[in-house]
Amino acid sequence: MNILYVLIPLALLLLGLAVWAFFWAVGSGQFDDLDTPAMRVVMDDDSKPKEDEPS
Amino acid sequence: MSRADGCFHCALPVPASCDLTVDIDGESHPVCCPGCKAVAELIRDTGMARYYELRDAPAPGVGRPAEEAAEWRVFDSAEMLDAFSERHDDSREATIYVGGMYCSACSWLIETTLGRQPGVRSAEVNPITHRLRLRFDDAGARLSGFLATLASLGYQPQPLSPESTTRPEVAEQRTALKRLLVASLGMMQVMMFAVGLYSMDYQGIDPDMQHFLRLVSFFVTTPVVFYAAKPFFTGAWRGIVARKPGMDLPVSIAVGAAYAASVYATFTRGEAVWFDSVTMFVFFLTLGRFLEMRARHRSIDRSAALSTLLPNTATRIDESGHAVVPVSQLQRGDRLLVRAGESIPADGEVVWGTTSADESLLTGEARPKSKIAGDGLVAGSINVDGMIEMVVTSTGSDTTLGTISRLSERARYARPGFVTLADRVASYIVVALLVVAAAVAVFWYFADPDRAFVITLSVLVVTCPCALALATPAAFAAAGSRLSQLRLLVTNGNALESLSRATLAIFDKTGTLTMGMPRITAVFVIDNAWTEKDCRLIAAALEHASTHPLASAFALPDVLPAVSDEKVHVGQGVSGTIDGREWRIGNADFVGGGAHAEDAVSTHVFLGVEGNVVAWFDLEDELRPDARTMINAVRSLGLDVALVSGDNRLAVETVAAALGIEDRYAECRPEDKLRIIEEAQRRGERVIMIGDGINDAPVLAGADTSIAPAHGALLAQTSADVIMLGESLAPVTTAVQMARKTMRIVRQNLAWAIVYNTLALPLAAAGFVPPWAAAIGMSASSLIVVLNALRLNRFE
Repeated sequence: MNILYVLIPLALLLLGLAVWAFFWAVGSGQFDDLDTPAMRVVMDDDSKPKEDEPS
Repeated sequence: MSRADGCFHCALPVPASCDLTVDIDGESHPVCCPGCKAVAELIRDTGMARYYELRDAPAPGVGRPAEEAAEWRVFDSAEMLDAFSERHDDSREATIYVGGMYCSACSWLIETTLGRQPGVRSAEVNPITHRLRLRFDDAGARLSGFLATLASLGYQPQPLSPESTTRPEVAEQRTALKRLLVASLGMMQVMMFAVGLYSMDYQGIDPDMQHFLRLVSFFVTTPVVFYAAKPFFTGAWRGIVARKPGMDLPVSIAVGAAYAASVYATFTRGEAVWFDSVTMFVFFLTLGRFLEMRARHRSIDRSAALSTLLPNTATRIDESGHAVVPVSQLQRGDRLLVRAGESIPADGEVVWGTTSADESLLTGEARPKSKIAGDGLVAGSINVDGMIEMVVTSTGSDTTLGTISRLSERARYARPGFVTLADRVASYIVVALLVVAAAVAVFWYFADPDRAFVITLSVLVVTCPCALALATPAAFAAAGSRLSQLRLLVTNGNALESLSRATLAIFDKTGTLTMGMPRITAVFVIDNAWTEKDCRLIAAALEHASTHPLASAFALPDVLPAVSDEKVHVGQGVSGTIDGREWRIGNADFVGGGAHAEDAVSTHVFLGVEGNVVAWFDLEDELRPDARTMINAVRSLGLDVALVSGDNRLAVETVAAALGIEDRYAECRPEDKLRIIEEAQRRGERVIMIGDGINDAPVLAGADTSIAPAHGALLAQTSADVIMLGESLAPVTTAVQMARKTMRIVRQNLAWAIVYNTLALPLAAAGFVPPWAAAIGMSASSLIVVLNALRLNRFE
């Protein structure tokens, strides 16, 4: 059981990391719009007729 | 897509005289005008034809060709660039409000189009807030290019100054998300430790390990209490200060007391800790708050939408000549030059020139009004056909437009029955709970002081009105997201409650039940020298030059006779020479005089040659094809139907008779409409107002619920509770049905929450429920409420 004294603090460390990462993600606006990104997957523009021409 | 479906790009009807098409993926589609053709081709040529498959709503009409968008240049000067964008190292970031956007496909189109422009680092559009965040290279940056591109796609861009872009909702949502995450992760961790602690209780205990687990739980719970649960404490304190205890008070007492007692027990190695109950409690409450907030934020911010009605720039006349300035810099007394086709940038007075102004924005009257020196001009109206000089009398929010939008805002907040069911009962329940908890505490203090704290805690936790608090917001959030899939935008969270109780639906006529586009219904030829066909052709040829809204009714696909010397006479009609004779089309006086026909069902347009009336045309507004079905469907829902209109009596009678509406009011000014609504409300009716006119803005706000179609005037949408996307009227019934279903679910939820509380309270008070079971019971009851609400997502 003594291994818990190591594992639990380790888990807390990971927890802290996860919270930090999430706070960073929220702060950089990744959660501001939850509707469009879901659509974006469908919207790969596979037809690019004029892509190769210099614009 | 056939002609009957309307323009491929903007879905407006294709005039018979127009045979423009656009080829996409080998198929040709009809478009209504060269502008739409250009935009559709631009979209196709940039490889973004998928936009047409993905969009929910037709595009916002014709854009302006890029070369005409010289007005944007003003945003290129160094000081304007600084005013509307922020510099980061070698790039700039600007926020642009994009008017005329309804769906995610629009945001995709904008992002992809702008992303391909040279110098653009990133373009992100939020379709909910209608804001585009654009990062571009500082070197050689030209905001005007981006704005012109947006305008040429048919949107109305409006650069926002950085101060006005930090919206409180965004910050609120971010903080709420962080709190929710801390609470949920904290809860999961503490639960895990709690399982260890409980099983140790069972299997015999290692005191050091128990102490360790408690300490760890303490570490995890502390941020949950002090960070995630902070709003509850501040809310409770506000409630105490305002002497209006809310649900936050018992929550704070339960959380605070349980946490304090657990901390004490942890460090004194006491009997029990309740960290698990605390975190679970906080998590479920935070989740409820979060859902509620999301539902509230669906109320779309349309404050910026109004300003897109105004032009971005104006031409100011100084001693030195003409200068293009942003509208925000205009001041009272400025002299402005307004060319034909431009919108009036501020309220003012004509000082030079004659023109006619399209004030349909404010009055709903499609016919332009003639304006000569000395006449007042309204900001946002369109200068139809002449060049004028004007003096500014008021700007910004002081203009008529600003005042109307403020008025409708106020009417909206002063609306009766604004409080939701849960809010009304919450206060009582909270006070009752506190009294019961105190009584339980006192009783057990004398009966069994050791258990007094635990039992009181259980009572507070088990009776937590979370299920009650979640009952309404969870259902509203689910309904809101389902409705937006059904092409209805709910902009006011309370709309569903009032919709569900509606008893009377009042419809506006023009543009709502009818198409809002006049068509020729009859031709009366007076002079037998001409046939009906001749008259139609000549009329079409003459009206071809006119931008008058009625002119579109005359358009014909045939080859038209050649007209020379055509002249538009503002407010009167059009004249022109055909085969050497002077023809006139317009009102009776203009054409030949005398030939008055007093009959007001329809609009009359007269055609005459050299002072003699040859024929007159009856123009009528056609009913929408689904108007009848929709009215019947609304009736079958048990609602009464009424019709109000600013139109003359006969026109209203005709429409009402066609739809079988008994209750009708004609020749109503906006005040009359508002009065009709208020009278109905006094009779105890709950009124839904469905209208699209700008005239209706205060009327919409005065009704219990208002529904505006997305193709209607912007101002109407700013005061509408529900916006219908698309042309169909069917969403009106969907909205009512959905609202009823939502309220049924809310009532079920509330009933369940009350039943649960009344069952759990005596058990907890009697000491049968330990705090952990109380927390589970509370969570389960909340979960049931949420799951029940999610059933709304399956609504068809």
